[in-house]
Amino acid sequence: MSAKLQNKLLDGFTYAALVVCALIFLLPILWIIRTSFTTKVVAYQIPPQWFVRPTMDNYKAIFSDNPFGRYFLNSFGISLISTLIAVFIGAMAAFWIARRTAGGNFLRIAILGTQMLPPIVMVIPIFMVIKKLGLMDSWFSLIVTYLSFSLPYMIWLLIGFFETIPKDLDEACEMDGCTKMQAFTRVVLPLAAPGIMAAGILSFLMAWNEFLFALVLTGTGSRTLPVAIANMETQQGVMIAQLCAATVIIILPVIVLSLFIQKYLVNGMTMGSVK
Amino acid sequence: MKKWLCSVVAIVMTVTLLSACGSGNKEEAGGSASSGSGKKQLNILMESVPDTDIVKKEIAKFTKETGIAVNIEAVNYSAMHEKLVPQLVNSSSSYDLIVVDNYWVGEFTSAGWLEPLDTFIQRDKFDTSVYLKSMFDMVGQVDGTTYMLPFYNYAMSLIYRKDVFEDADLKSKYQAEFGREMKIPDTLEEYVNISKFITKQKGDKMYGSVMMGLRPDPISVEWLNYLYSSGGDIYGKDGKPVINNESGIKALDLYIDNMNNAAPKGSAGFGFDEAFNVFAQGNAASFITYNWMLAKLNNESESKVAGKVDIASVPGGTSLNGGWGWAIPKNAEDKEASWKFLKWIESFDIAKDRALQGGSPTRKDVFADDDVLGQYQYYVKVQKVIDESRMIPIISEAPQLIEILGRELSEAVSGGKTSKDALDTVAKEVQDLK
Amino acid sequence: MLSQKRKQFLIFFVPSVLLLLLTVVYPLLYSLVMSFTSSSLKIKGMGSFIGFDNYIRVFKDAYFLKSAWTTVIFTVIVVTLEFLFGLIVAILLNRITYGKKVFFTIIIVPMLITPVAVGLIWRLLLHPDLGIINYMLSLVGIEGQAWLGDAKWAMITVVLVDIWHQVPFMILLLLAGLVSLPVEPYEAAEIDGANRLQTFWNVTLPLMKATIVVAVLFRVITAFKTYDLIYVLTKGGPGTTTEVISYHIYKQAYTFLDTGYASALSYVLLLVVLMLSAVFVKVSRGKA
Repeated sequence: MSAKLQNKLLDGFTYAALVVCALIFLLPILWIIRTSFTTKVVAYQIPPQWFVRPTMDNYKAIFSDNPFGRYFLNSFGISLISTLIAVFIGAMAAFWIARRTAGGNFLRIAILGTQMLPPIVMVIPIFMVIKKLGLMDSWFSLIVTYLSFSLPYMIWLLIGFFETIPKDLDEACEMDGCTKMQAFTRVVLPLAAPGIMAAGILSFLMAWNEFLFALVLTGTGSRTLPVAIANMETQQGVMIAQLCAATVIIILPVIVLSLFIQKYLVNGMTMGSVK
Repeated sequence: MKKWLCSVVAIVMTVTLLSACGSGNKEEAGGSASSGSGKKQLNILMESVPDTDIVKKEIAKFTKETGIAVNIEAVNYSAMHEKLVPQLVNSSSSYDLIVVDNYWVGEFTSAGWLEPLDTFIQRDKFDTSVYLKSMFDMVGQVDGTTYMLPFYNYAMSLIYRKDVFEDADLKSKYQAEFGREMKIPDTLEEYVNISKFITKQKGDKMYGSVMMGLRPDPISVEWLNYLYSSGGDIYGKDGKPVINNESGIKALDLYIDNMNNAAPKGSAGFGFDEAFNVFAQGNAASFITYNWMLAKLNNESESKVAGKVDIASVPGGTSLNGGWGWAIPKNAEDKEASWKFLKWIESFDIAKDRALQGGSPTRKDVFADDDVLGQYQYYVKVQKVIDESRMIPIISEAPQLIEILGRELSEAVSGGKTSKDALDTVAKEVQDLK
Repeated sequence: MLSQKRKQFLIFFVPSVLLLLLTVVYPLLYSLVMSFTSSSLKIKGMGSFIGFDNYIRVFKDAYFLKSAWTTVIFTVIVVTLEFLFGLIVAILLNRITYGKKVFFTIIIVPMLITPVAVGLIWRLLLHPDLGIINYMLSLVGIEGQAWLGDAKWAMITVVLVDIWHQVPFMILLLLAGLVSLPVEPYEAAEIDGANRLQTFWNVTLPLMKATIVVAVLFRVITAFKTYDLIYVLTKGGPGTTTEVISYHIYKQAYTFLDTGYASALSYVLLLVVLMLSAVFVKVSRGKA
């Protein structure tokens, strides 16, 4: 078999496998979207009614009964700000650790160690501090709390990425007379961009999905989407159709995220040329 | 440089530790010192249920009458305990009024989190005798002190399909096989028998009953109907557990029999909602559940069996009572204002208005009201169900009780333990709770 | 004048340390202190000091031991499957030129859905009687399962739902590692005439080691702490088949209000995971 044919076959296989894989992720999502336009009776009907007259009632309900617009804004703002802070200072700390020769293991494990306590136990002392400071139901309290887990993970993930970048590159820059900060921003950051993007997205998603702290630390003012969505499971049943509508809202940031991902991950290979 | 880092870390740690130890005992200095009706906004924590939505519709009237704004924060049931406990244990609370589920009552009152209402009640001559006794004993007073006013009831009952139980073909086949009439059963044995018969006749198109075996609340509350209706109880008169006596084991055997041989596959993992949907889609003939499910099952946007359902007492007669009560947290800022709202929302006119919108009543005079009865004829039966129902014992460890019970029942249902083993374990573990 | 090194330390590292001290170290110490007391949510303040009683209780707690074992099994299965699946997909994605963007958009979506909603939606899809999955299976002649209601299937079902929700993280991280690999070693391998498998084994894997360690350890830690999904899907049932340790701790703290004991349980968990990670980090980084 010629190498060219082999390549073609492999390509075919690759695409086929990826399509199957994409379907696994996609089908439940399509079903969510479909359910968001139905009533509860139709949602649970088996065999399913394939062609339903879509109703907008669920969307109307979540925006009129609940200020979902504001919850969305709260979630988005809090997640974005905490991520930006985490990326900014986390990247520097990670770089500093990655370029150290001594004590690296201890620092790594210590940073990770802060994340091993279940949040259930952390929430009580944090609640008491926030309450005492009079910061209940504020963006600030959630942003700071979210940094407590996004920052360590950020540092931890980025150490790994910075280590894959050969030391010679930034050392060479320092030899040429630039400061450590310049070596970091001009040489290392561009090279590690895919990793930073991945870690940033991760941090955003962790904040976006966080439920327990958001539940305990917010009132009606800074309530986030996960708390609002959890409220749709009531003692009188799950409002499944509205829940699906809310889920469609909660996946909207995908539009923004996919743009970033496209820029830094899809076109990733071109980065290697910074020399 | 290392030294420097070490000393910074050491200092910060000492400071934080010290403040951690200190924070527990110190009373918070801040908080509002207002008294009387100086408060301009009341914060209320409630559960996200239709009854709460009905209250939300009423509050504009209150604000108009008194000038006090009301902010209702509704969270879902499973999140409420997490949300409430840190608030109540703190020296001041964000909430002026809360609602309490009946099985938190013992815990909340024994921890001293709720303000006794007796002085308010006596001063303003608020008549508490209008409440159904079984409701007031559950989410009203504890050991002679009134901590709550009953908000709404969720006593359990049997909900069934009229068309199935009146089906001539099924009835004659049942007569032929068992030599007696198929009707709404009076005993659990007969209930399970009919339930298995329907499943056998109708295959997987119609189950005799749908059940909910999810830990911990669904399975516990469902099975407690079996226990109480078999004449069993959790604790005996002397306070020792009797849950593993003959009645208890019989109740669990019947429950398992029904689950394995009549209920749909996977019932052992069903919560309230899964079970509800099986019934609402028309796939089950009976369902032991909250009495207000009837209204939901008669609502066409949620149910395909609207108009075909009716309500009866749980076979055996004694169902599980349940309900929520209004309470003022001990650490609320302005209890006078909280009481003002409480007195208003529980007054006859407002209580009746809530009932007419579908709220589930707790007052006798609301149950007996002509307008309410005109709209909901079946409330006569509901009132009987509530009167004859029994509650989960009011003990401070009731949530533990439910947790342990749920775990062991689930073990028994999924085949991990025999009925006797499971109930023996419950008896052993709940003995220390009381 | 500050030395160059100290200046770097101040600029690069101190901001993170300060922030972490404020947000993480305080609660950590607080719960450490709490684990030695009879602290309960029913009483104000800390409760009285009771030495190691809570820790002794941990090892007598049969449900703790059982749930710890369940957690280990859950974590091993979930992380292994997610790693293998994630690596394969990442490699496949790295090969192709068309459709990457579409694929990414699709796999980000599950990650954006909050675990509570993921759980509730999968309960809809997996409903044994009214769910679309059993219906689809019946169309192709397979009898559906009771899924979450069957003691034998419950754990497998939870694992599958967790994979659906979390594997995109793995794909994302591993792919980020793959795209930032240098090109030179591959050119060298090609010159040496290595085949695909050899190149993967001798070039890609060693280069990816740091990223793989990070991604796997990250998932190990989050998998150990899984509780919301269990909470929504099974509440630990049927029986105790899916009762993981975080859910056990959650109940101690919020159902039983026993925060002292819950803290002790958490610290035992912390020590175990910490030791595991330390070994992992040491082994993977050699003598560094």
